[in-house]
This record gives sequence, structure tokens and C-alpha cells, in this order.
Amino acid sequence: MPIHEKTLLAPEQVLTSDKLVVDGVDVSGHWNTMILPRTVTDYDPDFYQTIQKYGGGENVHRCWQCGSCTNSCTMYAINTDFNPRYWIYLVNLGMVSELLKDKDIIWQCVSCNKCTNICPKDVRPEGVMKALQHWMEDQGHVPKAKSTLFDEEFARQCLERGRIEDSEVMTKFFKKTGQNLMELATKGWLGIFVARMNKWNELKEGRIGRFLARMPILHPLHMALAIVFKPRTKSWGRTGEVLKQYVEEQKRVAHG
Amino acid sequence: MNDTILVVGAGPTGLSAAAGAASIGRNVVLVEKENVLGGAPILSGYAKLVPSGEWAKDAIGRMVRRVESDSRVTIHRATKVTRVEGDHGDFTCTLSNNQTVKAGAIILGTGFTHFDSINKPEWGFGTFEDVVTTTQVEQMVAAGKIACPSDGRVPQRVAILLCVGSRDRQIGREWCSKICCTVSTNLAMEIKEISPRTDVFIYYMDIRTFGLYEDKYYWKSQEEFKTKFVKARIAEVTKAPDGRLLVKGEDTLVKRPIVIPMDLVVHAIGMDPNADNPEIAKVFGVGLEKHGFLDRGEQYTSTFSSTRRGIYVGGAALAPEDIDTSISHGLAMAMRAVGELAGAVEKAA
Ligand SMILES: Cc1cc2nc3c(=O)[nH]c(=O)nc-3n(C[C@H](O)[C@H](O)[C@H](O)COP(=O)(O)OP(=O)(O)OC[C@H]3O[C@@H](n4cnc5c(N)ncnc54)[C@H](O)[C@@H]3O)c2cc1C
Ligand code: SF4
Ligand code: SF4
Ligand code: SF4
Repeated sequence: MPIHEKTLLAPEQVLTSDKLVVDGVDVSGHWNTMILPRTVTDYDPDFYQTIQKYGGGENVHRCWQCGSCTNSCTMYAINTDFNPRYWIYLVNLGMVSELLKDKDIIWQCVSCNKCTNICPKDVRPEGVMKALQHWMEDQGHVPKAKSTLFDEEFARQCLERGRIEDSEVMTKFFKKTGQNLMELATKGWLGIFVARMNKWNELKEGRIGRFLARMPILHPLHMALAIVFKPRTKSWGRTGEVLKQYVEEQKRVAHG
Repeated sequence: MNDTILVVGAGPTGLSAAAGAASIGRNVVLVEKENVLGGAPILSGYAKLVPSGEWAKDAIGRMVRRVESDSRVTIHRATKVTRVEGDHGDFTCTLSNNQTVKAGAIILGTGFTHFDSINKPEWGFGTFEDVVTTTQVEQMVAAGKIACPSDGRVPQRVAILLCVGSRDRQIGREWCSKICCTVSTNLAMEIKEISPRTDVFIYYMDIRTFGLYEDKYYWKSQEEFKTKFVKARIAEVTKAPDGRLLVKGEDTLVKRPIVIPMDLVVHAIGMDPNADNPEIAKVFGVGLEKHGFLDRGEQYTSTFSSTRRGIYVGGAALAPEDIDTSISHGLAMAMRAVGELAGAVEKAA
């Protein structure tokens, strides 16, 4: 009999062996493929509470599976495996292994919040996507997302100095995400980006002075200086440390 | 011409009709086949009613007392009507206690019969002690204790199966019983109130908590009491070696078979036509509609008429119905019965 819903089979459920003996009968060859049962044999009914403890996941249990979020989703339009409605169901019944099958695409949410605006039960699916991503990172199911690395660097500077330096955030972020700054500047988008900041029109119309005066020189210079001198907010003192303690305390309260 | 009103059945519908007709000065004879008045909510010991939240014995008890203390109402308990002769304005009815009642109009509030879960053996009722019906859980709630009948333990998990005995061509029941979604979402909250650590799962095809019951029961049950809703019609209930029950089915949303352990399985039983309906149809000379409920006559200008002139029918005798609606049917029938008799008197004069 043909298998109608082949797409429902996960690769790890299909066992194929070159030599197979079942109850003493050699079935190698034609009958060498076995499929493990797909039956769900239990729920983890408390799992949703884990996700609720991450910011954005608070309303996950309200979902009634109408599918509005998925239908409106920017990412779903591009990749039909990206299905917030489905993941929310898996969270609520605690089908964690099923959920983790999609661990490498959940981060793709672009936070457009179309889902949040359309959801009739105010589940805030965008928040759930964020909560899921953070949970997966905390549990080591996925490497830290680029946005998490960015957030970490951003927060670190805030706490240390009461302010951030764009250039330092950028350079550290590029470094942590393995992006070569020089390469980006000479061959990548960064070079194009900076070049476009020039007022080429002035040059075309022969106003060389005005062109030179508006070249992006001062700002980058200012940024470079800030990297070297790392200015702090006035009388920042121990504020950062206190804040840090507070953040850690809150995390402990939320996630144990 | 006789202006006494005969009311058959002392459930919410009949009690309301009797009180209504008496309140405008008519003599009423109330005939109830059971020894106790109050209909299903009392006979089956329901707990708190939807949507008032009042205990059934208090709320319906008030309706019973109002009728019992009304000198215009004569009550025959444990009695049935066995013969009806005559016509509108002049019926002569024989009762099973051999008394005769003369009445101008007859109101049928003969209600429904609970679906008997034995007719769905695959869902384990009658086979496993821990498979029960909503009426049994109503009684547990009323007694303040949720327990597995097999050994008295407090269930960790309860599965409520919706549409048991409704919406099922296999057993010739093609109607929706209207109230069981609301009753079940409410029961889930009551279970949780008594036993906060119990997880309640509702297995559904659709959730039909109509009108204002939507947020008051469905949403509240899910959002505040954390009832889990699983879209699956259970195929079979079996028993695991450790004594727990296993509900088997297909989770249609993950497209996977499920075999989930549960401690208590509850059938949300539907409302069948009153098992007496064939007899009632014969005795009163009224028609049945295709499902076996009592049939209606023209409804827009002859509201609540049965198929026979001078006999009115309302409440759960007509179709699955909730209490509030049944009470309005009762009052409306009193109005119709008294009004039409007055009209007939005028014409005759
Ligand atoms: C599990 C469950 C829970 C429910 N909970 C709620 C709730 O919380 N809120 C709500 O609004 N509704 C609820 N309902 C619905 C409610 O039970 C009905 O709406 C209500 O009982 C209908 O009233 P009735 O008077 O028409 O019929 P019934 O309550 O069935 O009363 C009919 C009466 O007629 C008598 N009778 C029957 N045949 C004869 C005869 N041949 N001669 C003489 N007497 C006869 C019966 O003995 C009975 O006393 C529930 C239903 C179920 C199944
Ligand atoms: S916020 Fe994320 S999940 Fe929501 S619609 Fe946009 S991409 Fe989809
Ligand atoms: S739109 Fe809201 S209720 Fe509907 S499936 Fe998505 S999260 Fe659930
Ligand atoms: S009210 Fe709900 S449980 Fe009852 S028959 Fe209708 S859909 Fe099924």
C-alpha cells in the first residue's frame, strides 16, 4: 500500500537496513524499510508555563488555533514551514520534541507583528516566537541568535558606562558574528553604505567645496575617538552594577 | 368551555408554564411522572447552573416551591396522562391514578432523556469504572469531591469527550445538544476549583458555547483555569497495564495518532428525545419530527403550538434546549394557552 502522507514522516522515523532479519526470516532487499510509529504517547501539560516566563510568551495558553497568525505571517508567505499557529499548539500541549524539529527556523520571525494585530485572542504570537527563541538559546538547543548577540553587547555597554557607542556596538557585533569589517567595507554593503552618505549631486554640479564639506568625515572620526576613550555618563558610579544585579535577580525569579 | 390548563412535566419548562398560567388567575393541573418535581436538573443532581452559577437545588428549588405554594396549582406526582379526549376548550384527560381532569388547553413540558453512553461502547462507559458522564461529575462537584470511582484517588488528569451521543450518524443522532460545550467548559472550571492540581483536557470537534457563553465559559475556562483544548474526536478508550485509561485518536492539528494516559474520562452526554415520546405522541395525538422530538405547528403566529390544536409544546421536548430558554418557552406557552382560550370564549359568545 502506498504511504499517502509521506511528508508527515520525519527522516529519523524511517529505518532502512541492508540486511534485516525479522523473527528469523530474512527480509533483506524488498522489505528492508521499517517506519517507527508516529504516535504521541504523552503531553507535558506544564511546558507552556516555561515559555510564559519569557517576555512575550505570557498569553500563549489563550490560543484557540484559528490560524489567523499563520495566514497573516510575513515569513509564512516565504516559507510555509514557518507556522506560528502550529508551534503555539505544541507549546500548549508540551510536544517539545515536535517543536524542536523546527528549531532552526523559529528565529526567522521578523517581528512585523502582523500576527499580533490580527490575533482574536490577543495571544501575541510575535512575543511567543521571541520567547521560544530565547528558551531554545537558554537550553542550548540553538546557538545564540545574532539579535541576542547584538542585545548582549548593547546591554553590556549600557550597564558599564550608562551609554552606548554605535561604532563599538557595531565592531563588537561584527566580531562576535564572525563578519569581517574590512571585507564588508571594501567589498560588502558597508562600503556602499558609507559611499552613499556623500552628496554626489554637489560634485556632479561642480560644487566641490560643498561636496568636501559634507563628506562623512567628522562623524566617523567622532565614532573612532569614542572607541578609544570610552566616555561614561556623568556620575554613573555604581549604577550599572546595581542595575546588573537587579536584572539577574529578575531572571532568577522568572526562570528559577 | 373549560379554562383550566393542564401542564405535563414539572421540569423548568412545565414549572414556568404552571406558574405563568396561575399568575394570571387560571387553575392549573400539573402532572409529573416522577415523585420529585424539578426535571433533569433536580432528578440528575446538577451542580451549579449555567449561567447564573447558582446551585441547581436552590435555583430550581425556588421554581418548585413557587408552584407548590400556589393554591391554583394542583399537583399529581408519579402520574402520567393515559388518555386524552375532546378538543381545544374541552379536553378530558384520564390520569394513571384513575382521576379525570377537565382542561381547556394542554402544555407539554415533557423534556428530554440523557443519552445512554452504553450505546457508544468504544468509549469505555460500562467497561471501565473511571469512565463517567457529565451528570456523574455534576454530582461529584455537588458533593465537593472529584475522585476516580475505581479507587477513590484524585485524578491527575481528566479528559472530557464532547459530543457523546450527539452529531453522530452512526447512532442516528444528527443534532447538536446545544448546552454540553458550555456545561463541559464550566465543569472543567469546577473540577479545577475543587482540585487545582488536576489537568483537564477537552477533546472537541467544534466548541459551541453560544451567545454570551463564549467568553464567560470557553474563554474563561481556557484562559483562567488553563483547560486544554485538543481537536480530536476520540476513537477508543482502553486501559493501560498500570490501570490508567488511554484515550486513542488522531490529533488533527499535528496530524498524528495519540494514545494519552488519563485518570478519569468524562462523556459530555447529549440530550436525546424523551424516551416516552412515542407514547406521548399516541396519547396526546401530536406529531414527532424526524429526530424523535415533539413536532411544532406553525410558529410565527401560533408560537409553540404542537401539531394539534389546543396542545402546546416547548422546552427540551422540542429540541435540545437550555434552562433559561426553556423557562421562556414555559411562560410563552402559558400566554398562548390562556390567550387562545379567551379568544375561543369570545368567539363562542
Ligand atoms: C449534563 C447536563 C447539564 C446541564 N446543565 C445545564 C445548565 O447548567 N444550565 C442550563 O441552562 N441548562 C443545562 N442543561 C440543560 C437542561 O437540563 C435543560 O434545558 C432543562 O432540563 C430542560 O427543561 P425541560 O423542563 O424542558 O425538560 P426536563 O428537565 O427534562 O423536564 C421534563 C420533566 O417532564 C417529566 N416527564 C417526562 N415525560 C413525562 C410524561 N410522559 N408524563 C409526565 N411527566 C413526564 C420528567 O420527569 C421531567 O420532570 C444541562 C443538560 C445536561 C444534559
Ligand atoms: S511577527 Fe513574526 S510570526 Fe508574527 S507575522 Fe511577523 S514574521 Fe510572522
Ligand atoms: S491568531 Fe491567535 S488564536 Fe489564532 S492561531 Fe494564532 S495565536 Fe492562536
Ligand atoms: S454543544 Fe458542543 S458538545 Fe454538545 S453536541 Fe453541540 S458541539 Fe457537541
